[in-house]
Amino acid sequence: MIKAKRGELLTAALLLAPFIVIYAVLFIYPSLRMVQVSFTNAPLIGDGHFVGLQNFNRLLHDRLFSTAIWDTVYFVVLSVIPSTILGLVVALGVNRLKGWAQSVALACFFLPYILPVSLVYRIWEWMLDKDFGIAQFAIMPFTGGAHVSIFRTIPFFMPAVGLITVWWLLGFNVLLFIAGLRNINREIYEAASLDGAGRWTQFRKITWPLIWPVTVLVLTIQFILQLKIFDQVYLFSDGGRQDATMVMVQYIYKQAFQQNHGGLGAAASLVLFVVIVVFSVLQFQLLRSRGSEP
Amino acid sequence: MFKGILKAALAATAVLAVALPTAAFATDTLVWWDFLGGGDGVRMKALIDQFNKEHAGKIQIQATTLDWGTPFYTKVQTSTAVGQGPDIMTYHESRIPLGISTNVLSPITPAEMAASDIKASDFEPANWKKAQGPDGTQYAIPLDIHSIILYYNKTLLKQAGLLGDDGKPKGFDGVANWDAALAKLTTNGVIGLTVPTADNATMWRIFYTLLNQQDGVFFKDNKFLDGDNLDKATTAITEMNKWVKNGWTQSQTEYPASIAQFTSGKAAMMINGVWEVPTMVDLAKQGKLFDWGAVMVPTLYAHPATWADSHSFAIPNRQGNPETPAKRKEVLDTIHWFNEHSLFWATGGHLPAFKPVRDSNDFKQMKPNADYAALAATAVFDPVSTLAGVASPVYDAAGNYIMPAMNGDMAPADAASQMRDDLQGQVQQ
Repeated sequence: MIKAKRGELLTAALLLAPFIVIYAVLFIYPSLRMVQVSFTNAPLIGDGHFVGLQNFNRLLHDRLFSTAIWDTVYFVVLSVIPSTILGLVVALGVNRLKGWAQSVALACFFLPYILPVSLVYRIWEWMLDKDFGIAQFAIMPFTGGAHVSIFRTIPFFMPAVGLITVWWLLGFNVLLFIAGLRNINREIYEAASLDGAGRWTQFRKITWPLIWPVTVLVLTIQFILQLKIFDQVYLFSDGGRQDATMVMVQYIYKQAFQQNHGGLGAAASLVLFVVIVVFSVLQFQLLRSRGSEP
Repeated sequence: MFKGILKAALAATAVLAVALPTAAFATDTLVWWDFLGGGDGVRMKALIDQFNKEHAGKIQIQATTLDWGTPFYTKVQTSTAVGQGPDIMTYHESRIPLGISTNVLSPITPAEMAASDIKASDFEPANWKKAQGPDGTQYAIPLDIHSIILYYNKTLLKQAGLLGDDGKPKGFDGVANWDAALAKLTTNGVIGLTVPTADNATMWRIFYTLLNQQDGVFFKDNKFLDGDNLDKATTAITEMNKWVKNGWTQSQTEYPASIAQFTSGKAAMMINGVWEVPTMVDLAKQGKLFDWGAVMVPTLYAHPATWADSHSFAIPNRQGNPETPAKRKEVLDTIHWFNEHSLFWATGGHLPAFKPVRDSNDFKQMKPNADYAALAATAVFDPVSTLAGVASPVYDAAGNYIMPAMNGDMAPADAASQMRDDLQGQVQQ
């Protein structure tokens, strides 16, 4: 065994020091302070008095908070699973193409990903506009000519925002899946087809298990990302019934920045933080262990 | 030889290094934040350019326009708390109670106002008072009064026989006449009235207008919609819903779509803010608009009343880095200048708060402002509460309750009582 020499340890510490310092100051310290603030009645800026578990008690009895939790979960279901499955399907398809056709296809799917959220909002807001949007022509056959306001009809809101989010972020998943697919040795497929395995069997027995680590990665990343959803929901619900489609981060924003309840906002943030940590670790462990079963 | 050139170069740089800052010191920079985008914002930029030209070498305004609403106010709050932020900013008078409670606004003393020739008598009493705290401390100086008005298509109104000889609508007073007029105008694929029915701010403004026309009170003595005010609120919302139910107004219309409906002739009338006047004026100048006009929102109930808010100027209360007295004097002088020149600002559709301008002949002849300037006398401002004002819980409640009720997704009585309960519950916090 190679023992680390004293000098090497010192070098290692020196090289790590800048990152650790910045990380501690910009992430660890504010997180600890946030935990502390969640037990006070502080406004957005400034200190407050210690109030124990009062903020958490208030959250427990706030109907809007539970709405926010359910809406966030609903949105995660609507966006994480479809975008992962669709990402894999598209990656499988793009992987079959060769040369410039593959590059063009990849570019097409990746193009929405480079757009900022405000542009995505503007594009879809006008396309789906009730009075002047071109998407209404696709809707009218189903409603006998009547126009429908997608974002102001509550049952349609989350599915629409979920769909737009999938469209926007698909390229990222496709990229990850293609990298994973390219790692699978061609010879395995050749051997399998020599043994008489059809396309579907090849997918089930070769592709799916071998790409499982990437699938887990994509699911976990998407899960964590979409639990923190704010931009799209805030933008598309602006001006209307915001309470009916509120999500967690939007609730935190409303409490802390609009109503000046810093302590309550910190408490809600802490709850969201714990939820994300617990569920993402759980999900990762479960999926990883499932994948390693023979 | 090189040494010589080097010495000369160093000397020149030294001289420049001293000279440039000294030259800059002669011109003082005023950092200005506003939220005025859109047609009226263009006017404000022109006004700032005029100010800078007139004050070249002395004061220069460095203006930044931020996003209207919560983004502007939170940015002001966070920057003043750390001693940053502008020297002068625009501020909605309806937000002043929350601004005072979050320590964002710097009090302006009577002596300072007198030194810059700013007098209370130059402003409407209600307008002036709304810029004060509960103890009478002045926190802002009004610039304008802005409200909602009724835009109308003269051609379509004439066809329906609803246009008087003076080019103004006739026969709109009282609920029955108003409803009949809307019904008459909704023919041949034209809708009588377009309103941004998917916009919470518009919902609030129309609702508040109709509530006050019944002499209703929204918030008083820490109580929302107390007593029979709840019934008056229900009446207002029921009337708004009637327009949609009968097809005189379309449901779930977004704000830009509503403007488009009016300017394309698909709607005979539109209720929207005065800030859309520049939109109409500019379109008309290009020959792209029909013969149009604008008047005060008709009186449907007991007394005339129109929702109004006021843009005002305020000085941020920068923590640990307050403005020097000399800078404050400059800021207040600048505010006075803008008030004296608010005639040009009025071309953005607003009514100048500065009485000498509003009573001047030039303003009295300004069209279409002159047609609706009378609303200032019966304008009703937002309730004085930290829960009220632009982008406040009251505006949110309008989106959560009044909007679905107007569009037929909620019963008006339920909307009124749920809105009251929601806001009342937030008072206790």
